[in-house]
Amino acid sequence: MKYLSTLFIIAGAILSFMTHAGDLTNANDIITKANLASYYSADDGSAQARMIIVDAQGNKQMRQFTILRKDQADLGNQDILVFFSRPTDVQGTVFRVVKKVASDDDRWLYLPALDLVKRISAGDKRTSFVGAHFFYEDVSGRNPAEDNFTLLKTDDKFYTLKAQPKDPNSVEFEHYMVNIDKRTFLPMHVDFYNSQGKKSRSLEVLKTEIIDGFATVMHSKITQHNDGSYTEMQFRNVKYNVGLPDDIFSERSLRNPPKAWLD
Amino acid sequence: MAWQSLASNLEISELDDWASDDWGEKVVSPWKLSGFVEAGYGYLLQNNIVESNLSLGEITARLNIDYSHESFELVSKGELIYDDVLADTFWETRELNIRFSPSNNTDVKVGRQILTWGTGDYIFLNDLFAKNWQSFFSGRDNQYLKAPSDSAKGTWYIGGYSLDFTWTPAFTPDVYLTGERFSFYSPQAQDIVAPAADFSVQKNNQAQYSVRIATNKNGTEYAFYGYKGFWTTPVGISENQNQQLQPYFPKMNAWGASVRLPLAGGLFNAEYASYNSVEDNSGSDPFVANGQNRFLVGFESEVIKNLTASVQFYVEQTKHYNEFIVNSVTPATEVDEYRQLLTFRLTYRAFQQKLIYSLFNFYSPTDNDSYLKPSVTYRYNDQWLFSAGANLFWGDEKHTFFGQHQQNSNAWLRVKAQF
Repeated sequence: MKYLSTLFIIAGAILSFMTHAGDLTNANDIITKANLASYYSADDGSAQARMIIVDAQGNKQMRQFTILRKDQADLGNQDILVFFSRPTDVQGTVFRVVKKVASDDDRWLYLPALDLVKRISAGDKRTSFVGAHFFYEDVSGRNPAEDNFTLLKTDDKFYTLKAQPKDPNSVEFEHYMVNIDKRTFLPMHVDFYNSQGKKSRSLEVLKTEIIDGFATVMHSKITQHNDGSYTEMQFRNVKYNVGLPDDIFSERSLRNPPKAWLD
Repeated sequence: MAWQSLASNLEISELDDWASDDWGEKVVSPWKLSGFVEAGYGYLLQNNIVESNLSLGEITARLNIDYSHESFELVSKGELIYDDVLADTFWETRELNIRFSPSNNTDVKVGRQILTWGTGDYIFLNDLFAKNWQSFFSGRDNQYLKAPSDSAKGTWYIGGYSLDFTWTPAFTPDVYLTGERFSFYSPQAQDIVAPAADFSVQKNNQAQYSVRIATNKNGTEYAFYGYKGFWTTPVGISENQNQQLQPYFPKMNAWGASVRLPLAGGLFNAEYASYNSVEDNSGSDPFVANGQNRFLVGFESEVIKNLTASVQFYVEQTKHYNEFIVNSVTPATEVDEYRQLLTFRLTYRAFQQKLIYSLFNFYSPTDNDSYLKPSVTYRYNDQWLFSAGANLFWGDEKHTFFGQHQQNSNAWLRVKAQF
């Protein structure tokens, strides 16, 4: 019995050594993998999305849209198009982003009622995306180079990291904590804290699926803690490596959406 | 009301969709139906010589019917309007067009449509498509500032360049002030007038052509423009068939260029246009407006979170100014050679962008007049939208661009139900 238990202890130690050996210990390596898993799956992708926006009084609003995305390079620049289909007053509105790693993103909004291609200034990344609790930056991805990361904890399931903005004046939070799934590298839970150390905003992933081999967030929720208001975002019809041509990521698609790629 | 029950049914079905995880119809219908009902009320804040004290008094029922086919898109938008200022009910077709791509790199749109280009914010240089100034002054929704035209538009995409060509077979002028809703200054009468139905203008049915070449190089947008047609407001006077003097639209050709780029965390734009008043090339005919050089620079930036500010500086230079003044019947009240305009816009978004405060101000240091447009919009939910605002004019003189509208100052309210 004694030998047997010793054997178990040794086996346990070896096992735990093995798992630890597989763990990443460098915060930046983890963030790089998380960035790849969250925003750069495959070379391109398309998805239908909808958001339900619930204010502090429980009033609901809805947005439905289709997203097309193409990477110019992994972890590099990306082209993104967002076509709104609901509600009726935003139907036909198109949002175009050229996400740039080394400089500010280029962003345009097409307003069909005025036939107007409105360019959006780069500064306001952390403002609401079409009235939702998601920011523009939550949709296109925050540049990891904007923050300093520290790995705080590694357990069976998650890497827990703390992120501090390099330029505190550019953001509304003091720091954020993120739990990254060790298997998929998807950030599953993010809490933003204000300068008083209070939790101000949280992002939770409620459902993921493996699609074409890529771990994919299918349902997520952002809550604003001071009033309990929140936005849920759901995806469906997620496709990867669909072969989106480069030339659809242009002003032409604002006035003339590329129907073939929007089904 | 039928509209309301339709709207509330839609609301319920949308929420059901969400709950039952059903995103709507499995087979997407090629038809799309939407619209709104909107009521607007506005009141003139000062005594005015126009007939009605209402600056806005209308109920609009909008119906949009779109049809999407593999090889074309049909868009139709029409409105049934009851207008209390005119005491009339009428139908207006806002858009009725077909869009298709005859080749891989060509798009064509034919029919009644809204056309827009250029970089200015409420200031237009190379955008000579029809505007509705009555709507702009009365507090109607922003979209009505652009008036539709019956046009054909072709766009060719070659390399990184796009070439737009628009043809409007029958000249479509702006919806300018006639004295029906708003009064204006008449240089002939040297006073504020409101002729309304007596304001007759010689119309023409000749074509307008516009062209634009645009490109985007590393985030900087460049465009070059050309226009052949007419002044879009009646800035000429000539004898009609009955030997009476009557306002008309003199011929005008224009060309210009613009640039827009991100700069210092914001957006910078610059635009230039040369207006050639071809019926008065020497600038000496007092009955035809002189040509102009128009210059614009602008900058927009988010100053603090949810607060966007923008400034524009605009100069309108009258060509052949000496000839213009020497030949003018009323030189004392003519515009400066370099009319300058400074605009300032503040937009503040609160409560998840449901509440939007907006302030737009035009100020002319040369005319010493201004035009302030404050507004607040509350989006209660996806169906209901409430807004209120004002159009406030000031000026030292009654003949200047905004000064003449002092008595047109008004406040307005709007309620909109969307379905």
